[in-house]
Amino acid sequence: MAESTSSAAAKQIQAAGVSIKELRKSYGSNEVLKGIDLEVAPGEVVCLIGPSGSGKSTLLRCVNLLEQPNVGTIHVGGFESTDPDVDIDKMRRKVGMVFQQFNLFPHLSALQNCTIAQTKVLKRSQADAAEVARKNLARVGLDHLADRFPDQLSGGQQQRVAIARALSMDPELMLFDEPTSALDPETVGDVLAVMRNLAKEGMTMLVVTHEMGFAREVADRVVFMDGGVVVEEGAAEQVIGAPTQPRTQEFLRRVLDPTHIDIAE
Amino acid sequence: MAMTVRQRARVSRSVQYGLLALAVVLFILFADWASIGKAFFNWDSAVKQFPEIITLALKNTLIYTALSFVVGLSGGLLLALMKLSSVAVWRWIATLYIEFFRGVPALLVFIAFGFGIPTAFGVRFDIYVTVMLALGMVAAAYIAETLRAGLQAVPKGQLEAARSLGMPHWRAMVSIVIPQAFKIVLPPLTNEVILLTKDSSLVYLLGLAASQYELTKFGRDGITQPNAGLTPLVIAGACYLIITVPLGILARRFESRTAKTKG
Repeated sequence: MAESTSSAAAKQIQAAGVSIKELRKSYGSNEVLKGIDLEVAPGEVVCLIGPSGSGKSTLLRCVNLLEQPNVGTIHVGGFESTDPDVDIDKMRRKVGMVFQQFNLFPHLSALQNCTIAQTKVLKRSQADAAEVARKNLARVGLDHLADRFPDQLSGGQQQRVAIARALSMDPELMLFDEPTSALDPETVGDVLAVMRNLAKEGMTMLVVTHEMGFAREVADRVVFMDGGVVVEEGAAEQVIGAPTQPRTQEFLRRVLDPTHIDIAE
Repeated sequence: MAMTVRQRARVSRSVQYGLLALAVVLFILFADWASIGKAFFNWDSAVKQFPEIITLALKNTLIYTALSFVVGLSGGLLLALMKLSSVAVWRWIATLYIEFFRGVPALLVFIAFGFGIPTAFGVRFDIYVTVMLALGMVAAAYIAETLRAGLQAVPKGQLEAARSLGMPHWRAMVSIVIPQAFKIVLPPLTNEVILLTKDSSLVYLLGLAASQYELTKFGRDGITQPNAGLTPLVIAGACYLIITVPLGILARRFESRTAKTKG
């Protein structure tokens, strides 16, 4: 029974995949992405892990063109987002983005945060938009706080509103840029729970994260990046549980056992 | 006989209060109150100012200020957006405009609008339009810099979040960035209104009909009456304070409110 409801929910979400080919991005002479190939199938959850400065956030931001890549192609849903003639705004409607710093609009209530783009971009009526917003706030467990303003919410609550805001545009793909890195430890769990449910419902997700437990449990695939290249990718269980590359092994040893001191360094 | 730090502070404070009190007492004792009263506080002359100083002069000052603030605010917003534009030519034009109108006395701009433009282009504006344009264009230069700072103070993530939701750049500015920028610049913007209120006195240069008198011109007209002394100007000054002091209080209240939301 539970099986069939979750597959029904999966059908509700129109999934879009991502296909990245030979992607390069430089800031001046500093090349941050050195030829990345990455596929995310519709309905798949892919976690990007790696040390800071490895280029994983830049890669994520290239997908919805917050960063302009220098070389390579990206296909998102039916769009080739690297095509110079692409309608960026139309493409972005299909791609929800969740930021490390939440970036909620502080002059708007939680509900208005979720309705403003619906009314201004999708031209939904105020009533329709509010209904969608309330549904999505309920989805993240915050419908009772719809009238609060961002500064009246905890970090974890703000991030859940930010997820509801992105979901209110009915995206086909969700990008998460270290969604729990700026949170107090005790609110991380709520945000991860929301993301876990989203994954269960069949949402296509590309997640930059340091939460190895989450990646291992929820991701279909894990991609380890270092120095602007993909070092290793595969099933979550394999990459995190039994990595084959020395750099992956070293990174995971440090992340999973922070008290470990490498004498050789 | 060494004093503690606290004792020394108390003595120092007493001495300062004592000196101030002494100065006041000496002034009261030795000032020529009859002359002072005649010059500044002539009751008969004061009574003659009413009610026109309120119903006419104060009203006109408010009208001139409001009209020029409308031009200043919209012009200032346009200039601020130009200054932040990715098109270099817009930035240059805005910079030139701001440097020029901030650097030239408002008095000169009034003369240019009142006498230069009618001669040069053969158009004669209504007095209200002239004030609105002359004062408004000067105000726009100041307000532009204030607004630019406010726009830049809105975190970059706000624009990114709005654009990520599919909003075009202009829509993100109108719905997300500009409202937040205005909240940030509310206190300095209130100060701009105070400056404008006072600068509206320059309108006297244009030559006014009696019905167009504002506070300063009305006061200056008042002191030409026999035995009026300077009392009409004192009353006019008081009327300016009726406008500007509440604005100052308002600005401080905005400031403490912004400080609170930040903390």
